[in-house]
Amino acid sequence: MAHATDDHAAHGHHIIPIPTLLKVFGALVALTAITVGLSPFDLGMFEIPVALGLASAKATLVVMIFMALKYDNPVNMLTFSVGVLFVAIFLVFTLLDTAFRGDMDNVDRLTIEERERLNEQLQESDVDAEDLQVAPSDMQ
Amino acid sequence: MSTETAPATTESVETEHDHHPSHLQHHFVSSEQQFDSAKLGMWLFLITEILLFSALFVAYAVYRNWNPVAFAEASSTLDWVLGSVNTIVLLTSSLTVALSIHFIQKNDRKKTVISLLATLALAGGFLVIKYFEYMAKFEHGIYPGEAFAPTGSGYEYLAAIPYVPQFFSIYFVMTGIHGVHVVIGMGLISWMAWRAHRGDFSDEWYTPVELTGLYWHIVDIIWIFLFPLLYLV
Amino acid sequence: MEAAAHAASQTDAEPRTYLNHETSLWEWLTTKDHKKIGIMYLISLAVVFLVAGLLAMAVRLELMSPDFSIMSASQYNQTFTMHGIMMVFLFIVPSIPAILGNFVLPLQIGAKDVAFPRLNLASWYVYMAGGVLTVTALLVGELSTGWTFYTPYSSQQGTAVIFMTGAIFVSGFASIFTGLNFIVTIHKMRAPGMTWNRLPLFVWGLYATSIVQVLATPVVGITMLLLILEQTLQIGIFDPALGGDPILFQHFFWFYSHPAVYIMILPAFGILSELIATFSRQRIFGYRAIALSSVAIAMLGFLVWGHHMFVSGQSAISSIVFSLITYLIGIPSGIKIFNWIATMYKGSVWLQTPMLYALSFLFLFTIGGLTGIMVGVLGVDVHLHDTYFVVGHFHYVMMGGSVIALLGGMHYWWPKITGRMYNETLGKIAAGLVFVGFNVTFFTQLVLGSQGMPRRYYEYVDRFAELHMISTIGSFILASGLFLVLGYALHSLFYGKKAPQNPWAAATLEWTNVAAIPDPHNFTSTPLVTRGPYDFHKADEVFGGSGDGQARGDGAGSDASRLTPPEAAPSAPKEDASA
Ligand code: HEM
Ligand SMILES: [Cu+2]
Repeated sequence: MAHATDDHAAHGHHIIPIPTLLKVFGALVALTAITVGLSPFDLGMFEIPVALGLASAKATLVVMIFMALKYDNPVNMLTFSVGVLFVAIFLVFTLLDTAFRGDMDNVDRLTIEERERLNEQLQESDVDAEDLQVAPSDMQ
Repeated sequence: MSTETAPATTESVETEHDHHPSHLQHHFVSSEQQFDSAKLGMWLFLITEILLFSALFVAYAVYRNWNPVAFAEASSTLDWVLGSVNTIVLLTSSLTVALSIHFIQKNDRKKTVISLLATLALAGGFLVIKYFEYMAKFEHGIYPGEAFAPTGSGYEYLAAIPYVPQFFSIYFVMTGIHGVHVVIGMGLISWMAWRAHRGDFSDEWYTPVELTGLYWHIVDIIWIFLFPLLYLV
Repeated sequence: MEAAAHAASQTDAEPRTYLNHETSLWEWLTTKDHKKIGIMYLISLAVVFLVAGLLAMAVRLELMSPDFSIMSASQYNQTFTMHGIMMVFLFIVPSIPAILGNFVLPLQIGAKDVAFPRLNLASWYVYMAGGVLTVTALLVGELSTGWTFYTPYSSQQGTAVIFMTGAIFVSGFASIFTGLNFIVTIHKMRAPGMTWNRLPLFVWGLYATSIVQVLATPVVGITMLLLILEQTLQIGIFDPALGGDPILFQHFFWFYSHPAVYIMILPAFGILSELIATFSRQRIFGYRAIALSSVAIAMLGFLVWGHHMFVSGQSAISSIVFSLITYLIGIPSGIKIFNWIATMYKGSVWLQTPMLYALSFLFLFTIGGLTGIMVGVLGVDVHLHDTYFVVGHFHYVMMGGSVIALLGGMHYWWPKITGRMYNETLGKIAAGLVFVGFNVTFFTQLVLGSQGMPRRYYEYVDRFAELHMISTIGSFILASGLFLVLGYALHSLFYGKKAPQNPWAAATLEWTNVAAIPDPHNFTSTPLVTRGPYDFHKADEVFGGSGDGQARGDGAGSDASRLTPPEAAPSAPKEDASA
């Protein structure tokens, strides 16, 4: 089953013309220049999103054209997208912890030991109330 | 799927080895099936690479989120000029490797080899620049981990800022692992250049070149993200 | 040439099989035949299982009673650590895909081999390299971190940790290679007519597993690498003494290790679908639901890792989110259980050994899954975390789920792998011993845990004594069952009855279209698939039964000869090779 050359092209072996490649390269260089050019300015909270946005644009160009995913079998596109999706999941769920570490101060601010000491002090100060109990709500 | 449309061959194929393209392995029905398989396999491998690096990006994000000032200070000591040059170098190498595939698809072996060699040279250039960057840091006692002991003007003050060592640990680990990938890529590209020169590839079959190209582009993409995160923001 | 030799060999008394073809040691070690690689994995994994199992017996002996001791506290720590590491990373994770997946997958989809046979062989060598590193770790020092390697303890331990984490890094590649290979094989190597809707469910299970292997394993690789750097260079990412965050290590670890539990259970689900359908002589109920729920579990499995960290000090918001998503995992798991039971309903259930394991699985996995939901409840887990309840839970799913399914699958495919039948009576006895022993061992542990017995403790208070004793007795029953299996399996290799081509009258390709012992190239002619994998309901028309309902099976008791095996799928049209 020898393959004819045009048979190849028909089966998605897309040949990307040189001008396209050069245009993409030009765009990549331009985006790099923008990234570098923006860096002296303080963009505040937008700094990371802008930098990542520009980097993603570059990466998309490389993936779509240089790596020819645009012309490729859809299953490869799916594979790649799933990979990227799971990187995002990893990042978001980890940050969900680290960015909110120590949130929800719903527990008593005192340690158990401190609470017990306070309990003792209260009992000592009021000898009449032998079985005085301190409920957590008393401590607020 | 290709297997459903392409009629399958049977055992009888084995007697027909002579009529087979030499690259076709016996358990595949057609070159097309073999090519598609190799490519899907490569994409799967590439996402494992992406996930491998993802943990480092997560570590970066976590520590940066906790210590924005330390990260800004530490990052400002990296040489953004060299970083930018290296970015351009890698982007160019991506272009040349894409060109090599273009040329082999047109059956132009000579230009294929030249493009691959250009890629190799650019990759080497990247490593040389990276080497000088590393050396400049080592000179000032900027090492990953415990050995971190900044000296010299422009660096000394880093010692007083907590979590600066974390930045450099992450910097060295990320760029170090990336560097290892560059070295592996150079090995693969040399091998491809040699095989292309020998005449192993043609417009009929150039799968290894294409897969090496994909690998090289991923190395480039990782750098595309490393560069702004480490050098600029 | 080869085909000619093949044709000739068929007329001989002994047909060419993969076992009598290229039999020298060197030919085995360099084989690219997926079936032989499966067997090489089988032997290696059996050794690991034996060693890790003996370590478990040592742990149970130590805990038999409060005042009985066979080892020091530090030896005890090392023993349960090695037991856990070997069982998880070197046994259960690779087990079903590497043994049965390798052997059966290409046969079930009508392929000559996996897509990348050389990568497949490489996977075995990489796995063995991981094994060598493990042995090195044992030799160079003490390893007492537990299988979870939590920092800061692990990053302050000696060189043994470096070798062991290195071993896990390396054997991770074996897992990636297998997963990658299977995904491509399933996508690209199916025989003509083998549409996605006709894939046997074992293949679907392997497909989902492979996705998880490819996506999750790289992360454990890099985590282990970072841990090594933490030890050697003190990079300060995980160790609080250096400004690192130990909880970050737990995130990295569980980002892999929770999905890894699905690497263990998804292929087991696949086996179960095969067993239940075949031995109930029924078309599987809810084929699509089973197939897609595997993929759903694979994906959802990545969103729950934080349920291992409820008491670690992670943020409350992430605990809540992780807890909620954990409940969701129960849904696709439940779907499967109901579908299997519905498949048996009104079927003619044939209680052969593999089916006994399948029924055990249903029972044990249900307990495992429900206890999983219990520990997935945020508030409840604060009490149960790090107790024997968790130990009970994960043994119900890993041993009661994956290992029982592996045993069922091994019995089911044993005739195809070895060409011999095992002793059915002993098989049933062993299945009974395993089932009883397992429950005695681990149900007591659930009770112990709920009463507050912590895990990984060398000593315990007297009130736990009886239950620990019962658990140890159970573990002996369990071990006797497993050794019985080993015994009759070895016996059958030499003295077992020769297996017919399709002893279970199953309907998937590896039984209908492959010789009793497969040919080195699997199929004499590529099959053309024209029906689903479990179309027992069409038995009479499709399988050429005599119309008296016989081919459906009729609860045929133990008389296999009364079952009419389904007809082989026709050959695909031969392609003119020079076209
Ligand atoms: C219905 C599905 C499941 C749910 C909801 C679930 C939930 C959980 C939760 C919440 C924990 C953490 C308990 C703690 O440490 O306090 C846990 C532990 C564990 N689960 Fe599951 N699980 C499920 C299925 C599985 C399966 C199928 C496996 C393996 C085949 C598995 C293996 C494990 C292991 C190994 C641990 C203990 C890890 C350790 O701390 O050493 N689970 N499970
Ligand atoms: Cu889990």
